[in-house]
Amino acid sequence: MTLEAFQNMVFPVKNKLYRFAFRLLGNNEEARDVVQEVMIKVWSGREQLGRVHNLEAWCMRITKNLSLDRLRQQQRRPTDSLDQGMHVVHHSLTPADAAELGERMERISKWMAELPEKQRQVMHLRDIEGYSYNEICEILELDMSQVKVYLFRARNAVREKLLKTDAYGLA
Amino acid sequence: MDLHEVERLLEKYWQTETTLEEEQQLRAFFTSGQVPDSLKDAAALFAFFQKEKSKGLEQNFESTVTNKLKSRHRGKLISMIGFGNMARIAAGIVVVVASTFLIRQEIRKRYPAEMQDTFTDPQLAFEETKRALQMISDSFDKAKKEASKVQLLNEAEKKIQAKKEGDKINL
Repeated sequence: MTLEAFQNMVFPVKNKLYRFAFRLLGNNEEARDVVQEVMIKVWSGREQLGRVHNLEAWCMRITKNLSLDRLRQQQRRPTDSLDQGMHVVHHSLTPADAAELGERMERISKWMAELPEKQRQVMHLRDIEGYSYNEICEILELDMSQVKVYLFRARNAVREKLLKTDAYGLA
Repeated sequence: MDLHEVERLLEKYWQTETTLEEEQQLRAFFTSGQVPDSLKDAAALFAFFQKEKSKGLEQNFESTVTNKLKSRHRGKLISMIGFGNMARIAAGIVVVVASTFLIRQEIRKRYPAEMQDTFTDPQLAFEETKRALQMISDSFDKAKKEASKVQLLNEAEKKIQAKKEGDKINL
């Protein structure tokens, strides 16, 4: 495989890989390093790419594994720098509404970061990246029922917190 | 999409029963800016998802990775690995040869080989040598006698063979 063909196949998914690594690691630099590592790994194993059924899902799986390896090495939870501020640009919103929406989004970001690892992974892949259940199963090496259970729990954990915040103003 | 339909889809969403298309409809609705106050929480959630999806790597990421991949391509990783292995084997051989040589030297220093005469009188030495040679000669003679028995057996076998062939002709 030529370098150009490789670039055309793998570079288009770089942002998805980065966002997933960032969701798992919570650190921009580390997420960037992981994506680089994934690219180098895939390039080194380019002779076997013919056997890969879904290249994007495969790259996402490598990203997950490398990110989790890093977390295990450091033995930490990825909450360090997830909160990067939610600046909302909705032209139809008043500045006050935009600020309120920004605050809500920041709270949601925090809740999502607090979810158990698998729930967070599934919610990210489905609700942010828009992957099908089959693709999520392939990326996370889980079966369909597990994926649905994790997603149900993740969505409901966020929903409960949203309801609590509305009812009591608790963050 | 009317509000009733949005609420129905949202309930399906919380129950993890929505399809990807239905989730896309919800995303489109909640990020349109035309959201009633009663659904502000859900709007914040979908706005958060959209915001997260817009994150990506910086512009120079591709060129950085390309340079790394090119340097790997040029460097012929396989030949480097081959050279490394050869160097390791060569180093191993050198270590083994050098240590064998040194150990041998050490042993020679500690235990020098000494030539010692067993007899002081030349006449006695001559007699002893003669006796040893005589013993070898006797052994040869004995072996020769035994070998002649084998010759006798061979001759007998030939005679039997000849007799058998004569009998066959007579018949």
